[in-house]
Amino acid sequence: MLPRVSAVRPLRPLSCFPLCSGGPEVPAAATVLLGAPHGTARTKNNVQRYFGTNNTICSKKDEQPASMHEISKETESQESVKENTKKDLLDIIKGMKIELSTVNVQTTKPSSTRQLKSVEATINRLQKAPGDAPKKRTKSLSPELVAAASAIADFLPFDKQTTKSELLRQLQQHEEVSKAQKNGGRAKISVSNIISDMKVAKSATIRASTRPVHQIQFDEGSDDYMSQKTSDVKKSLRKNMLKGKRLNIFDLKAVTEETSETETTPSLWDIEFAKQLAAVNEQPLQNGFAEMIQWTKDGKLWEFPINNEAGFDDEGSEFHEHIFLDIHLKDFPKQGPIRHFMELVTCGLSKNPYLSVKQKIEHIEWFRNYFNEKQDILKENGIEFN
Amino acid sequence: MCPLFSGSWGTRFYSGSATLPKVEGTNITGIEEVVIPRKKTWDKVAVLQALASTVSRDPTAAPYAFQDDPYLIPASSMESRLFLLAKKSGENAAKFIINLHPKYFQKDIAEPHIPCLMPEYFEPQIEDISEAALKERIKLKKVKASVDMFDQLLQAGTTVSLETSNSLLDLLCYYGDREPSTDNHFQQSEKSEELEEDTGENDKKSKADDQFGVTWRAKNNAERIFALIPEKNSYSYCTMIRGMVKHRALVQALNLYAELLNNRLQADVYTFNALIEATALNMNEKSEDKWNNILELLKQMAAQKVKPNLQTFNNILKCLRRFHAFGRLPGLQTFREMKAIGIEPSLATYHHVIQLFYHHENPSKGSSRIIYDIMNEITGQKFTPKDPDDDMFFQSAMRVCSFLRDLELAYQVHGLLNTGDNWKFIGPDHRRNFYYSKFFSLLCLMEQIDVTLKWYKDLVPSVFFPRSQTLIDLLQALDVANRLEVIPQIWKDSKEYGHTFRSDLKEEILMLMARDQHPPELQVAFADCAADIKSTYESQDARKTAPDWPANSLNCIAVLFLRAGRTQEAWKMLGLFRKHNKIPGNKLLNEFMDSAKASNSPAQAIEVVKLAGAFSLPICEALTQRVMADFAISQEQKEALGNLTSPTSDSDSDSDSDISEGI
Repeated sequence: MLPRVSAVRPLRPLSCFPLCSGGPEVPAAATVLLGAPHGTARTKNNVQRYFGTNNTICSKKDEQPASMHEISKETESQESVKENTKKDLLDIIKGMKIELSTVNVQTTKPSSTRQLKSVEATINRLQKAPGDAPKKRTKSLSPELVAAASAIADFLPFDKQTTKSELLRQLQQHEEVSKAQKNGGRAKISVSNIISDMKVAKSATIRASTRPVHQIQFDEGSDDYMSQKTSDVKKSLRKNMLKGKRLNIFDLKAVTEETSETETTPSLWDIEFAKQLAAVNEQPLQNGFAEMIQWTKDGKLWEFPINNEAGFDDEGSEFHEHIFLDIHLKDFPKQGPIRHFMELVTCGLSKNPYLSVKQKIEHIEWFRNYFNEKQDILKENGIEFN
Repeated sequence: MCPLFSGSWGTRFYSGSATLPKVEGTNITGIEEVVIPRKKTWDKVAVLQALASTVSRDPTAAPYAFQDDPYLIPASSMESRLFLLAKKSGENAAKFIINLHPKYFQKDIAEPHIPCLMPEYFEPQIEDISEAALKERIKLKKVKASVDMFDQLLQAGTTVSLETSNSLLDLLCYYGDREPSTDNHFQQSEKSEELEEDTGENDKKSKADDQFGVTWRAKNNAERIFALIPEKNSYSYCTMIRGMVKHRALVQALNLYAELLNNRLQADVYTFNALIEATALNMNEKSEDKWNNILELLKQMAAQKVKPNLQTFNNILKCLRRFHAFGRLPGLQTFREMKAIGIEPSLATYHHVIQLFYHHENPSKGSSRIIYDIMNEITGQKFTPKDPDDDMFFQSAMRVCSFLRDLELAYQVHGLLNTGDNWKFIGPDHRRNFYYSKFFSLLCLMEQIDVTLKWYKDLVPSVFFPRSQTLIDLLQALDVANRLEVIPQIWKDSKEYGHTFRSDLKEEILMLMARDQHPPELQVAFADCAADIKSTYESQDARKTAPDWPANSLNCIAVLFLRAGRTQEAWKMLGLFRKHNKIPGNKLLNEFMDSAKASNSPAQAIEVVKLAGAFSLPICEALTQRVMADFAISQEQKEALGNLTSPTSDSDSDSDSDISEGI
């Protein structure tokens, strides 16, 4: 994880160059640069969270394995790196916004949010990383890229050669990073994709800056991109809704902690509340079966499946317990008249549908006791029992 | 049988361990372990549920709740309402009679016994004065009888246990020291009819409370008995506070909470929920102060280790809605807080958030996108009822969709509605109608006409009966898509759904039919439709209720008759113009002229001119010239025309008789 961060960091100073200079292309550059750090940071974020929970568990148990602790620290530091990167970029974008507004009067209020959004959009796309990229990446920088970079350089009001070389160097570096990541089985980043993004994101920033967010999709040409974009925009907003400042009054641990709740009889309040809740999704019945369900619940209907067990409560005992009663004859002699008699008893019981299992066993018990009481008579007659 | 069985039992017992056969050295592979299959227990409704899940909605049939009889299948929302009410009130009446005269309903014919068919006893059985008698009266919710019994016990010097006193307090507080009204779900929903946007929802709620006449009176029995209990525990305080908040005695509730704290007792989560409500409803404070007070309460909860529940957060969000724009940020923070501490939001939570962000939305301003977050969050979830407001969500979500004009979002909401059993959360009749009206209007506005018509067939009338505005929306969609040939069908439907006398709908239909020329067959159909509409106007005249014929309708009907070649009837329409003192349009008069020319009847042409003259219309002269140019007319007729064009229009009665001649 760490190498990736360091690979990303050197990009920042570079980014300052075109950004500080101002001009309409700037957000595009920002998009590229922000893309990588944020994209990687996301995965890290997950990892960090994972360890974070681990950590809390550890602290709970009061035994902190050193290695675990270290890792979580590490991830924390990465997190802060990410934060810094983000902050820097935000600052840059902010500064640039002012520049922009002096250059282009039309770029009014929404521009900064717009830019952020396009940044977000790019990030999300970067994570998706299409599969057609690898081919190009095997060569070091395809001619297309060079052409694109020079095109951008033409756009900038500065020394074209410098810009171009800066851009290309930038791209090359980027490519190395992505290659390394690819080899590591990590998220792939297509350079050509970034280039194309640069262009579109730029035009979006300039043209859309004065429009409300949701209209943009109708104004841009490339459909698949825009639809993707709007969904991305939505996603980024969702992040805003779910992640952000909270009240910070309650503690997760305190709330989820199980307390031994004393079972009390429900009060009138509880009963009435339950009634209210039941009324919430009360709807007219949809079909005859639904009506039969209702009747079953009311107790007006025989319960399905209809068999000869209706109304016969046998505490969930099963078929074989009713039929195979020989196991209860273990204490009886293995042969002789008593055995013979008891076999007949169990045979009869196994065919009786009206007694519960418990009653059947009791019946057998009764005979055991009976023979026990008559031990002396049995002995007199030479019959062995027990 | 027995030896054989016990033998097999023995081997079965040993074959469990794999090593034993080797030790024994005997080949017993022939005997395998018998695994007795477990008894399968069925839920008593499992079979029925499986069967019910195979039945899908039939868009061509009336809902199952109605009698399957052509005479008893409702054709309008009013009728459907009436029929459902009739059914329910029949049940209620039967129940009432059975409970009123239990002695006549003792015969138990069912075997096995069916408890729910037997009369319930609502009269207390224990006569003497004892705590048991008091408990029974509390259980039967006899407010006054319980209070009397409590007083008698006290006078007799018996001490009532704390538990019983508390349950008496429960009863008194819940019903605000009034006898509970008999449950009548349907009557309630009738009162809070809210077909239109639920703008004044909060007002309505308080109004509803007033309607039931339950407000907390000072020194009522609850307060008296509360004072009489010698050793009050925290539950006594809690139920008092809850009762006070329920019946809007907010200041007393807050004061009592202070007293509770002074007595070093702790409130439970329900009480805190009530207190939050009380804080927010308190009149005399600014939103910001109220919010701070709520936060203070929450901090106290955390300090006292009282766990918040879903209700706590839903209450806060609901209260924040009163703060309008100020409530948004706190609302989001509250939402995140509840997510953070692992309380799963219910539909009511989302409803409150939506209301918070869209209720006072100004269409000109950029609107919030929070609905997208919510929908992304909950798409595909299946909900169970957790909050009494859960059935408000779909209505408010669809309202936002319609407000944002976002069809895709509307489909998403509708998809959520059809996930699992979520459809049950659509709420009572009026809310379902609202939801579907909004949904369908949005479809009319945004969707292709074929799809819209498909939805129309699917939803109307098996799910909802369209309002006239919904039908007008559909007509406009038809107009945009140039599918006017469907209009006669729509008119037939709207007649069926009880919009026969909606003049705005009728005018819209006529206007659309009369606006352009159409192929002859279509014109014939239109003319039939127009004749039908005309007859509704006539029967309306007979009823003498609605305002009389609008001029536009007269014009349109006449034009439609003319175009379909029903000249006679068209001329009759001209008579109606005079009768109702309405002025025919220029276009109509020109069409009449065309028709006269087509039938080559100068007399008719002159009638038209005369009529125009009678109304002193400016077009009169142009018409005269047309007649002169287009028709071969006699000298006499020429003179008559000359008279008409001259400013001294001789007589109304003349032209009147002329027209009747023309007819």
